[in-house]
Amino acid sequence: MYGMFAYVERDLKRWMRAPMNVISTLAMPAAWLIFVGLAMPTTFTDNYLDFITPSILVLTMLSAGLSGGTSLMFDKVLGYLNKFLSMPASRESILFGKIMFITIRGLIQATVILAIAILIGATILPWYIYPEMYGILFLFGVLTSAFGTTVALYLGEHDSYAAVQAFISMPLFFTSSALMPYSEMPDWLAFCAHLNPVSYAIDALRSVMAVEFPITSISILLIGTVVMLAICMRIFRKVTVR
Amino acid sequence: MSKIETVDLTKNYGNLCAINKLNILCDNEIYGLLGPNGSGKTTTIRMLTTLLNPTSGSASVCGYDVMDNAAKVRNCISYVPQDMAVDIRLTGRENVTFFAKLYGIRNRAERQRRVDNAISVMDLSDRADDMTKTYSGGMRRRLELAQALVHEPEVLFLDEPTIGLDVAARRSIWEHIFSLRKSGMTVLVTTHQMDEAERYCDRVGILKKGVIVREGRPVQLKSDLMKDVIIIRANGGIPSTLPDGLTFIGDGDLEGEYIFTANHGSEVLPNLLRIFETEGVKVLSSFIREPTLEDVYMQSCGNGTEDLGSFDDRQFRNLMVRR
Repeated sequence: MYGMFAYVERDLKRWMRAPMNVISTLAMPAAWLIFVGLAMPTTFTDNYLDFITPSILVLTMLSAGLSGGTSLMFDKVLGYLNKFLSMPASRESILFGKIMFITIRGLIQATVILAIAILIGATILPWYIYPEMYGILFLFGVLTSAFGTTVALYLGEHDSYAAVQAFISMPLFFTSSALMPYSEMPDWLAFCAHLNPVSYAIDALRSVMAVEFPITSISILLIGTVVMLAICMRIFRKVTVR
Repeated sequence: MSKIETVDLTKNYGNLCAINKLNILCDNEIYGLLGPNGSGKTTTIRMLTTLLNPTSGSASVCGYDVMDNAAKVRNCISYVPQDMAVDIRLTGRENVTFFAKLYGIRNRAERQRRVDNAISVMDLSDRADDMTKTYSGGMRRRLELAQALVHEPEVLFLDEPTIGLDVAARRSIWEHIFSLRKSGMTVLVTTHQMDEAERYCDRVGILKKGVIVREGRPVQLKSDLMKDVIIIRANGGIPSTLPDGLTFIGDGDLEGEYIFTANHGSEVLPNLLRIFETEGVKVLSSFIREPTLEDVYMQSCGNGTEDLGSFDDRQFRNLMVRR
């Protein structure tokens, strides 16, 4: 555990000291929120901003998680990983430290997005809703960063990883319940959306915002996260112990 | 019990045998592992630092087996790989503190004491709070050594510690390594710089295709290689027959330069020149000097510079990425 916190602290410091990284990763979700959230003409709701805010929060976590895969990859390519592996801190702490860092980074970005949403007119919810929302975002963050890290470790080089990332992130978002409710979707899209893990995170967020407890969505996310972590650990061991 | 001990240590990568039944013993000394690129130096270090599992044979560090007791081995060693990797957006002190935490030094006061100490041993105190991106190559290397020392390891593994550094920085790194050995640390170091190995290593082992072909104190190895080194520069090839008591070591740096060794160089040299003349080869220059470790190396490893076939493309890519 102690080693894990040391890794998280190092990565957070490195990230915060590169202002361009911090700003550029926020640009896309902020643009979605402002240009789509405020401008989309809709009939199914009179406050589309409230409808799309949870989607954008999940999108923020999704892109943070997927782009986070490069972090461990670069540690490996640049020779940091070999140093870390020869040190007494447990080897799993390297992996969990990375997943934790990516998730925390995503949560910080999501906080900024949430603040922008409230500034431009999203409804302010009772205080006790927010911890529940963060809990769901955290779970989803662990899931996506474990996924991103697994793919990055498996592919082992940056170009293919960037291609995979570009290939999956937007389709995942569009085929989820992010932009419209299931009732408004054509049947084929509703079918895709029901299979999409991103939908479960978004649905869970919308439920807690409507003061319900989405037991099914959270259970499915939890199971997915545990399975993903197990796969990730397996790949990590395979890549590091030769 | 020796600090580093290997028994028939072997590593195969598929069909390629990178290390073949290696036996080394090191204790309270600077042991230099020399050899061409791809001869297995880094593979050896990676096995001893528990980064690679041996195919067969065994190795122990500080008395712990690298396979069965890997965690205990990691507790008593430090490893500085050849890729220079310090976090440039952290200060020197933050870099060292980060490692102190990974080495499990939890007590805050104790950690600060050790960090300050490691930084001052490496002469970085006055720049400790600057961002590492402002450091020169030599300072970054010293910072890596400080990171390794904060742990007060019993055994230190250094993979080409002076690669890419200027003369003064090289010397300073070696002086620091030398003073660590005086404080009782065992240091296993790989290098391509024969003059550095000759000056600072207590013992060297020359590795060729995964086998130690020569091992001993540099002075001993040099005297094994007869007394004098003769260098001839000629307009043609070497004669087919050589005078008695003369051995050909290898080609020199220049075109048509040949290196020989003999017990009594000044007596053999006139004979040698005569033979060149009778074969119709014009000798441009000749001189005699004392042997160096480089001559020993050249004789052991020959003129072929790299062992082909085991080129590590990942390492090459690392270099490319960093450009």
